[in-house]
Amino acid sequence: MSASAKRTIHIFTNFPTAVFQRDVIAGAREICDSRGYTVEVVEISEPLNLLIRVDKLPAGGLVITGVLPDSTLQMLHEHGMPLSLVSHQIAGGHIPAVMPNNRQGIAMLMEHLVVQHGRRKPVFIQGYATQTDGIQRLTAFQQEVMRYNLKVPPEFYLPGEFTPEIAAASMEAFLDTDPDFDAVVAADYLMAEAAMRVIKARGRRVPEDVAVVGFGDAPEAAQAGLTTVAADVKELGRRAARQLIGQIEGLRIRGLTLLSTELIERETTRRPINVAK
Amino acid sequence: MKTLKATRDQIRQHNRQLLLRAVYTGLADNRAALAAETGLAKPTVSDMIGELIEDGLLEESGRGESTDSGGKRPTLIRFVPNARQVIGVSLDNGRAFAVLSNLAGQIIAQHYDELDNAQGVEAVEILTDVINGLVAQLDAPLLCIGVGVPGVVDVANEVITDSPPLGWSNYALGKQLNMQYRVPVYTGNSAELTALAQYAFGLENDDESTSLVTVLVTNSVEVGITLDGTAYHQGGDISGLANGEHERLDHLLGWKAVQARVDELRAQYSQTWLPQDELTYMHIHYAAVNGDALALALCDELSTHLAQMMAWIVGLLRPNHVSLAGPIVNLGETFLEQVVAKVEPLLWEKILSPVTFSLAYSGNLSAIGAAALALHRELDIL
Repeated sequence: MSASAKRTIHIFTNFPTAVFQRDVIAGAREICDSRGYTVEVVEISEPLNLLIRVDKLPAGGLVITGVLPDSTLQMLHEHGMPLSLVSHQIAGGHIPAVMPNNRQGIAMLMEHLVVQHGRRKPVFIQGYATQTDGIQRLTAFQQEVMRYNLKVPPEFYLPGEFTPEIAAASMEAFLDTDPDFDAVVAADYLMAEAAMRVIKARGRRVPEDVAVVGFGDAPEAAQAGLTTVAADVKELGRRAARQLIGQIEGLRIRGLTLLSTELIERETTRRPINVAK
Repeated sequence: MKTLKATRDQIRQHNRQLLLRAVYTGLADNRAALAAETGLAKPTVSDMIGELIEDGLLEESGRGESTDSGGKRPTLIRFVPNARQVIGVSLDNGRAFAVLSNLAGQIIAQHYDELDNAQGVEAVEILTDVINGLVAQLDAPLLCIGVGVPGVVDVANEVITDSPPLGWSNYALGKQLNMQYRVPVYTGNSAELTALAQYAFGLENDDESTSLVTVLVTNSVEVGITLDGTAYHQGGDISGLANGEHERLDHLLGWKAVQARVDELRAQYSQTWLPQDELTYMHIHYAAVNGDALALALCDELSTHLAQMMAWIVGLLRPNHVSLAGPIVNLGETFLEQVVAKVEPLLWEKILSPVTFSLAYSGNLSAIGAAALALHRELDIL
């Protein structure tokens, strides 16, 4: 392996220009630049177009979400290639990873809705059922439902797949049933915004009738006046790059680095609630 | 009789800590005031402050007001919280959980992995792999490391006397980690460190108790004691104590025992809502508040065991606050009220009435406490 290959980090992703992936890459680049590593972004589309030869492994790989199959990640790990997974975990695999603190973030949103704003009938818009962030945010929501002794029927769990269009369609179908709900918690802010537009278009007031919150934050969320928990995605990239470089430079690491989240209260929960409801 | 003399280095270290603490706590913010506050000679203060500035722990920050007598305006000095970083790790509740903090105790990053019931050398390897996870995230030089473990810890000698969950006995963990990381390493019992964290960074209910007992229930049962702001290091693991004529405390209250008890009770309460798999305290709480007979019976048993233990603790130590910590807090405030109601008939009212009780919801208090311990021992701050 050449000296330059030793200083090159590969970032594996499926959509390098999507908001989340773009910010992770930007954060990772900052650290790599300052530490003398070059970055090569490897775009992986379906079907898998990446053939990895174990005799020509790069210095290290930063893998954004579940873009490589777990079996491939495990194989690379076993061949000694330093890896850092972003927003993805392999159960029992101990491959180092960096994730937002999903449990803390959802707990903050729920405390805000239930304790501060008295909402007791939340709807949850889910992410991907097979992706780590999606699973963790759903589990955290269910735990908080139990903490506050809320009654959330199965039909209040709407599919969203981290896709605004799917979240909007789910909310349309849900509203057709004339449901009695007073809050929406979405597994990401883009789905929250999409759901909010539908709710308003159907004549319900936000936040008087329905408070809306979402996980993650961006200028678009601020513009929409959406209450969120901010998980700094660039920082996720920075932390992952540090974790990866640490391994390349000889540290044996296992486990998960967690990034704290911060509640940002905006108009979608700020106004007084309709106490008559 | 043999007298012990402090060495020159010890005196120097003591003076350094004295000055650093005076600036950190806001007692003094210039050289003359530091000399007056600490009683140290002005040239000594000047030398030491110069050294601390060179080390990056203090910095000059402009000029202050001149004195009433019209003297020269003093050069102000302030503490630099980001000059160094500290790692605190706890090894309880089945996880190695670590926090990276600055010198003001502000958490910068967290890292953890499951212990998977590892013991002995394997547990040490997991511990170092988790510490490495935060070494990779350092933004400033590492000052020291604190480690909290379940069991009995000889704090003076940094030796783990006995930690059954980790399979460590008379193990000089601090020395081994010190050789690896080349920084001072301090060890303590998990519950003691949880109490220290609550003291150093405040209870979650803003109670300003200075005399605090923390009961940490995980798979083991431990007690941490902070009396007037000093962790008392003989508390620790009380899992092996028998509750009256019954069983050891961890066989009654530890999470493994609770899971086994739920399975036993299923025969009696077949209609229970509690799930067979991935049961949590939150499920038990939810079932109990919704009238599930098994969950209610279980909470009744657990509150009885805890009340007995807490009555002894309050009766003996007379703290002004008792805090319950560990995942058991997810049983909620109703459960705590149940415990306190059962403590009442066991103690004189005069003893119990000044005592307040709370749940410590934060899941990483013992790791934060480990960082606080390391900071306290290394710089005598917090």
